[in-house]
Amino acid sequence: MSEQLSFEQARAELERIVAELESGRADLEEAVKLWERGEELYRLCVGKLDAAEGKIEELGRRAEAVKPDA
Amino acid sequence: MKVEATLHGDRKVYSVSAFNRGVGSWLARLPTLWIEGEVTELRRQEGWQSVFFTLKDLEDGSCLPVSMPRTTFDALRLDVADGDKVHVFGRPELYEARGVFQLRGLSLEPLGLGAALARIERLKRALAAEGLFAAERKRHLPLLPRRIALLTGNEAAAKRDFLTAVTARFPAARVVVAETLVQGPKAAGAIVSALEALAREPEVDVVVVARGGGSFEDLLPFSDERVVRAVAACSVPVVSAVGHEQDTPLCDLAADARASTPTSAARLVVPDERSLRGELDRLHGALGRDTRRILERSRHALAADGQRLTRAPSLLLERKRSRVDGLAGRLRALSPRATLERGYAIVRTDAGIVRSAKAVTPGAQVDVELAEGGLGARVEETWE
Repeated sequence: MSEQLSFEQARAELERIVAELESGRADLEEAVKLWERGEELYRLCVGKLDAAEGKIEELGRRAEAVKPDA
Repeated sequence: MKVEATLHGDRKVYSVSAFNRGVGSWLARLPTLWIEGEVTELRRQEGWQSVFFTLKDLEDGSCLPVSMPRTTFDALRLDVADGDKVHVFGRPELYEARGVFQLRGLSLEPLGLGAALARIERLKRALAAEGLFAAERKRHLPLLPRRIALLTGNEAAAKRDFLTAVTARFPAARVVVAETLVQGPKAAGAIVSALEALAREPEVDVVVVARGGGSFEDLLPFSDERVVRAVAACSVPVVSAVGHEQDTPLCDLAADARASTPTSAARLVVPDERSLRGELDRLHGALGRDTRRILERSRHALAADGQRLTRAPSLLLERKRSRVDGLAGRLRALSPRATLERGYAIVRTDAGIVRSAKAVTPGAQVDVELAEGGLGARVEETWE
C-alpha cells in the first residue's frame, strides 16, 4: 500500500470501502479484501492523528519551537 | 418660517430665539457641499449624540466647527484623528441654542480616499476580467494540513486568536508563523515575499493571511495588485482573514477561502480533532459490522448448501425408487396375470397357445390356464 496517501485521501477511500460493504454487493472474497484495506486505511488515519505533534514555529526564528499549550 | 418682531416705537425688535431661528432657517436653504480641511479638537464620547471637531483651513488656519451624528461617524470606521486632512460633506447650520454657526457633517473621507477607492475599483474590474477571482479557480482546503502557515502583522491579537482557535480544535496542529509589515508603503512587497517564503516551506499545505481590523488605509496593501496576484498564484491554497466582514480587500477575492476573523480562519484550516476521531471510529465500526454481515451471509449460504448436499443421496435414491416402482406397475399391467384375474383363460396345446378354433379338432387334449391353477380338458366341438 502506498503510504504516500494523505489523511484526506485515506479517509475518502475508507468511506468508499464502507459504502461498498454497506451496499452488500461484494462477495465474500472481495469483502475480506475490502475489510483488510479498510483496516489499513483506518490505522493510517489514526496513525496520522496520533503521530502529529503540535508545534508552532516562527519563520526565520526556527529554534523557537514550542508546544501550543506551553 | 415667519419670524415675529415686536414694535418699540418705530423700532422692530426680535427676540434672540426668533433671530436665531430666522438665521437658522435662512442657512438651511444653502446647498450641501464638500469642504476640505484638517481635523482638530476632535471630541467623541459614547453617550453623545454627535461627534464634534473643528475643521481648520489648510492654508490660513481659518476654523469651522463641525458636528456629525455619532452613528454616522462610527459607521465610517475611519479612525479619524486630529491632524487628519479630510473632505467633509455637509451643510451649514446654526446651533440655535447657542447662536453658533457650524457645519452639519453628513459624511467624511480622508483626503485621497476617493482616488484610492476608484483605483481599487478599477483594479478589481481588471483582475476580475482576467478571471483571477473566478469560482473555478478556488482550490479546496486540505482536511488535515501537515503544516499550516500563518502570515500576520506583528499585532498580537490576530496571531493569538488564530493560534488559540487552531490548538483548541486540533492540539497537534503544526503552524509556521511569519510576521511581516502589513501596513505602510513597504507592506505590499513584504507581504508578497513572506507569502512566497511560507509557500516554499516543506509540508505547508495551506497559508492563512490574517490581519485584524484597521482603517481603510491600513488595509490598502491587501488590495495591492502585487499582493492580490501573489495570493492567486500561491502554490498552496490561501485563506484570507483580513479586516472585518464589511471590508473586502481584493486579496479576499483572490484567496481560495475567506474568513471574517482569524478565529473563523482557524475553523476552516483544521478539523475538530474530537469529531474527526469520532467520525473515523464510526467508519471503523461500520467497516467491521458490514464485513461481518457479508461473512454471516456467506456462512448461511454455505450451511444451506451443506444441508442440500447431505440430503441429496437419499433424494436421489427416492427418485430412483419411485421410477422403479413406476416401471414395476407398468410391467405388471402388461403381464397376462392381470388379464387372467379379470376371468380370462389361456388355452394351450402342445403346439402352443390356441388363438383360433381351427387350431384344434374335437377330441383334442388342451391345457387351460386360469388365474389360479389350471385344468386339463378335451375339446367337445369347435365352431367358427
